[in-house]
Amino acid sequence: MASVTLENVTKAYGNEIAVEDMNLEIRDGEFLTLVGPSGCGKSTTMETIAGLTQPTEGSVYIGGRDVTDLPPKDRGVAMVFQNIALFPHMDVYDNISFGLRLRKYDQDEIEERVEQAAEVVQLEGMMDRMPAEMSGGQRQRVAIARAIVREPDVFLMDEPLANLDAELRIHMRTQLQRLHRELDTTIIYVTHDQAQAMTMSDRIAVIDNGHLQQVDPPLTCYNEPDKLFVASFIGSPAMNFFEGEAVESGFDSEFIDISFDPAANDITPGQNLTLGVRPEDVYLARDREEANEPTRTIGATVDVLEPMGDEVFAYLLLDEDVEANVEGRGEGQLLLNLDPQTDIHEGEDIEVVFDQQNIHLFDTDRGQAITHKIA
Amino acid sequence: MSDSEHPDLAAQEQMDEEPELDRGVVEAWAARMISNPDRAYKSAFYVATIFFLVTTLFPFYWLLMVALTPSNDLNQVGVLTPGGFNPGVFVDVFLEYGVPFQRFLFNSFLIAVVSTVLVLFVASLAGYVFGRLQFRGKNVMLLAVLVVSFFPPAAFFVPLNRLFNTNFDVLRPLMADGSLYNTPYAIIIPVSALYLPLSIFILMTFYSQIPDGLEDAARVEGTTRVGALFRVIAPLSAPGVATAGVLTFITVYNEYFFSSLMTSGAAEDWGPMLEGILAFRGQYEVLFNVMGAASIIAVLPVAILVIVAQDKIVSGLTQGGLKE
Repeated sequence: MASVTLENVTKAYGNEIAVEDMNLEIRDGEFLTLVGPSGCGKSTTMETIAGLTQPTEGSVYIGGRDVTDLPPKDRGVAMVFQNIALFPHMDVYDNISFGLRLRKYDQDEIEERVEQAAEVVQLEGMMDRMPAEMSGGQRQRVAIARAIVREPDVFLMDEPLANLDAELRIHMRTQLQRLHRELDTTIIYVTHDQAQAMTMSDRIAVIDNGHLQQVDPPLTCYNEPDKLFVASFIGSPAMNFFEGEAVESGFDSEFIDISFDPAANDITPGQNLTLGVRPEDVYLARDREEANEPTRTIGATVDVLEPMGDEVFAYLLLDEDVEANVEGRGEGQLLLNLDPQTDIHEGEDIEVVFDQQNIHLFDTDRGQAITHKIA
Repeated sequence: MSDSEHPDLAAQEQMDEEPELDRGVVEAWAARMISNPDRAYKSAFYVATIFFLVTTLFPFYWLLMVALTPSNDLNQVGVLTPGGFNPGVFVDVFLEYGVPFQRFLFNSFLIAVVSTVLVLFVASLAGYVFGRLQFRGKNVMLLAVLVVSFFPPAAFFVPLNRLFNTNFDVLRPLMADGSLYNTPYAIIIPVSALYLPLSIFILMTFYSQIPDGLEDAARVEGTTRVGALFRVIAPLSAPGVATAGVLTFITVYNEYFFSSLMTSGAAEDWGPMLEGILAFRGQYEVLFNVMGAASIIAVLPVAILVIVAQDKIVSGLTQGGLKE
């Protein structure tokens, strides 16, 4: 049980800066997820906390103690690795008890603790198996048992579910949440999968390019993203974006115009704006009463429909001249999700409205959010 | 390549069957080889294998033959048959003739064991650094290690011999006269250093292949970097460690150059096993049969070691390069 604090942490590998001036406070008992695209510096951040790499600048505190210069073994942390990293030449018992044996606990206590840890992750009766004889999920549970058996102050989990198949991953997700509740320990979790970040965390820290973008509870990151990057990264499928400009009458872009009073939203005409709207905040014009405050209608053509069972993703083209972008959603394309019962066909011309209460405006040049609801 | 796969087979079979060709035995044999290369490969394999077995095993057989022949009948030794049967010579090596052969064996064995342990320890540290860490000047240092391993041992002999014959006061509590001459250290130190580069290269290759995650896990669990090396990385590189160890042991055990020159050659002065074998040369007669028996006894430890470790050695020698 301990808080973790990063103070002005910078890590550079030669000229490559992996993490720059990071300040992060992780509270005691919190489940915090570091999330971001691969190569954004989230793993480096975790390795810095674990002590596997030394920060180039800045300090790390665990439970108020400056651990910047301490080796990993003296930091009171335990870690679960992406590639599981069980010692292949040791059986399950030896793997789990490795840390305790190194710390010279007496035999009885080791046995008792290993037994308890095995019980938590349901590994009873597998003590003399070798890692090679176990399934991926079992190995992952051994790795977790190895981490919890030492009763560390802080758990570090570096993409622990990445190598598991989809079904097992979802199962382990709930297991981990239960584990967090039982152990009541600080957990720092690294993932690039925003679904894991959203579902398990108390707070998520979104990192891009070595910089901390936002640290907030998952729903805050989803509903009120501070940065353009956070808005585009959190949420699946991703938010629709339109790049345009602030004008006297509101927002103007190549494909859509939204009218509002710029002054009421702290926007000066001429400013470069990016408008973002989540797929669930786009409605068909005929269902406009479902929106809190519909905008005026926008014409579009249905390009592709993706029935998912419980909903349908409709990809729209906002202009006849727009070519469907093969590398993801581009300018002039719009995604919305609809009820599967909706009567809609590919190639059909339709009209849509946005919910003005859920339109996000960003300053394009600074990437900073201006408002999450147009006044 | 099997017979049926050979594209020209049908055509060439027809050629074989042409009876009117007037060929000699050798010519016909050559023609068959050309039409069916698999036969050529197979016979080449057998020729090479038999050649190798004969050149390595026949001397050993001859040694056994000589050893079994009583010393008076040594002129009776034939090409393939011994001149008599006297298995008691293997016991006499130790009991008769006044040569403490067991002490010579022990000297070589101990020196080899200590050198092997030393080499494995130092080469592990070096292999870890070269194999797993990135630092400036790494390639230059590796090259230096490689170059040193190419130096002929004789190049080091004179300075080392002078050094080991010098009396150092600091060594006086340990060594009677304060010099290393006539002590096992005078052999262990230069020999370990000379055979270190090979082990460094073997272990470097193996250690570099152990995933970083395992080392990180060990360090988080409570070891230092060195602890992780000896508790996780080295055990997982067992074939490499076994290969380096066995190669070092064999080379040091068979070593004669330093072992004979850094000691007086007497058993109590840490003379090596080879000095022991040569000790059966008297002023007036050379006991070839006893020397033969001593040689065979001296080979046994190495033979046993190789048989015990052969699985690991084979996988160690082949794995290293392939498992990138």
